[in-house]
Amino acid sequence: MSSPDPQRAGVPSSRLTTIALAGAAVLVLAGGGAFYLASQKAAKPVEAGSIAVRVGEKTCEPMDLTVPAGRSVFDIENASNRPIEWEILDGVMVIEERENIAPGFRSQLTARLKPGVYDITCGLLSNPRGKLTVTASAHSDAEKAKPPLKAFIGPLSEYKVYLALQSGQMVQATTALATAVDAGDLAAARTAYAAGRTAYRHVEAVSGRIADLENAIDPVAAYLAGREQDPAFTGFHRVEFGLWRQNATADLKPVVDKLASDTTVLRDRLKVMKFEPADLAGNAAREARRLAEGPVISGDSLYAGDDLTEFAAAVDGLEKPVSLLLPLVAEASPDMAKAVTDAFVATRGDIGKLAGATAVPPAYAAVSPEARKALATSFATLADAIDRINPALGLE
Amino acid sequence: MRISGLVGASALALIVSSGAFAQQASLDLVEPIAEYKIYVTEKVAKLVEDTTAFTAAVKAGEVDKAKALFAPTRVSYEAIEPIAELFSDLDVSIDSRADDYEKAEADPEFPGFHRIEYGLWEKNSTDGLAPVADKLLVDVKALEGRIASLTFPPEKVVGGAAVLMEEVAATKISGEEDRYSHTDLWDFRGNFDGARKIVELVRPLIAAKEADFLKTVDANFDTVDKTLSKYKDGDGYVTYDKLTEDDRKVLAASVNTLAEDLSTLRGKLGLD
Repeated sequence: MSSPDPQRAGVPSSRLTTIALAGAAVLVLAGGGAFYLASQKAAKPVEAGSIAVRVGEKTCEPMDLTVPAGRSVFDIENASNRPIEWEILDGVMVIEERENIAPGFRSQLTARLKPGVYDITCGLLSNPRGKLTVTASAHSDAEKAKPPLKAFIGPLSEYKVYLALQSGQMVQATTALATAVDAGDLAAARTAYAAGRTAYRHVEAVSGRIADLENAIDPVAAYLAGREQDPAFTGFHRVEFGLWRQNATADLKPVVDKLASDTTVLRDRLKVMKFEPADLAGNAAREARRLAEGPVISGDSLYAGDDLTEFAAAVDGLEKPVSLLLPLVAEASPDMAKAVTDAFVATRGDIGKLAGATAVPPAYAAVSPEARKALATSFATLADAIDRINPALGLE
Repeated sequence: MRISGLVGASALALIVSSGAFAQQASLDLVEPIAEYKIYVTEKVAKLVEDTTAFTAAVKAGEVDKAKALFAPTRVSYEAIEPIAELFSDLDVSIDSRADDYEKAEADPEFPGFHRIEYGLWEKNSTDGLAPVADKLLVDVKALEGRIASLTFPPEKVVGGAAVLMEEVAATKISGEEDRYSHTDLWDFRGNFDGARKIVELVRPLIAAKEADFLKTVDANFDTVDKTLSKYKDGDGYVTYDKLTEDDRKVLAASVNTLAEDLSTLRGKLGLD
């Protein structure tokens, strides 16, 4: 943002300091503010086509502005007797602002605005706010169908934060699991296992694509030649087999130590992983489809039987990256945004129906093949809805 | 919170301003913005912890203890002030000044840290401050929740460093912020650390192309650090009135230059 350019029509700049001093609220070291004002470069002439806003004691003149989308220059005059700041607000977020405009001074503010209705501040916090309406333009319409790369930086960053937090919790849980196994504490081990699985499900849309770690952390016996006796049967499900099928922590020490170490590697790998905008919806759709085709039909947690809990966690993990895109999707197509949101509600509802109202959902063994098939259809429908996001955002 | 509006607005800005040499925003910004969010998250967690102790002291009528906790508690808030524009409503209820209210200190609406500061130092009392303390704690907890669910717009993060330096240059340098306690140097510590954090996070993206720019920015931050360090007192700082006229000028000059220099950072990263 550029520095404020305080100016006062018809007043020689030598009076700047005097006026700024008079306007400063506290005079312990008020020279600092004056120094700042005086150090700014000479005032620019008001740009042609700029929008004049006069801030009085109680209101802005005008209180209601309309500008086209794109770049606008506002010429703000402080006609009150106190220093003011002037802000353009979208909800609680300040879009642009000018601080400390002294009484009698003017300041220019340049904003690039997208269509919508914004608030403008008018002096004291208790004063009513004005309204700024920004109307659509050809540019703003084109941007909806194809947001620029920059629009995805925030969502991608936020997803990285999510992956960092969840994988941190996963490591915490597998470390606790190792401690519980060391202590021979079966109940504590089961609790830690469940916490680790929840965190793992949250990151699985991405981690499931890291083949080497996936094969160490999450192999299922059904895919191994020697099933539960296969030396490659490691990771979470090997632990699950011990804790639930064998009801014991014995023999698990090397398995949980390796799991703790592998999940730490996974966390670090996720941290340095680079993502493209299309990965957010792309990975989520792929994972939803994988769940529909495999785990929902055959069950993943054959020994603990807590698949319904895990599927609910998986849905949370799918929804995170998608929710980060939804503001952009809503711009491009409000109907599609609603369809995606509805698909998540529907799949959650379908899991909920099978889970029932009890604290612990029924074991997945009790869920019939027909019911599994219906749930798989729910996940496939969800995958279809998520799949429509990338084309709508010009990402394909 | 409607992020989309902002994203759209800046997206448009890219089209409007893209000349032949306009810098394009890069996905290399993803990691710095993610790191910054984690930094802010940790600061806000500390703010909640410290505000809990501070407001408890206020409510227990422990004037001296509350006075001792006031400045250190605020440091975490001041460190995240570059992005205060993302939660302007809470910024008002947590950190607004008496000037923002019609009846100034006497205004019943005057809230937050500075309302409590006024009571503690001007009245040497916690009378009537219990509801203000309760509200402050509710607000910083709300801030923690808000931050957790907020997608940080990159142009607001990068631009925030300059916005904050401008505010320090334009107003805070006068000692207006902590006008009753004169603990401004603590706030400055938080402000400069918070602004510099942003520069540090984007440094790898511009190190090769903008070596001179970074050298100047580093030099000014270093001057600020050196100047502030002269006034260190235990874990904190002496009161603002102890600052010599010469050092105030040094600080003002540095922060003015920082405000001006950092205002170009958005453009250098393709975020204008």
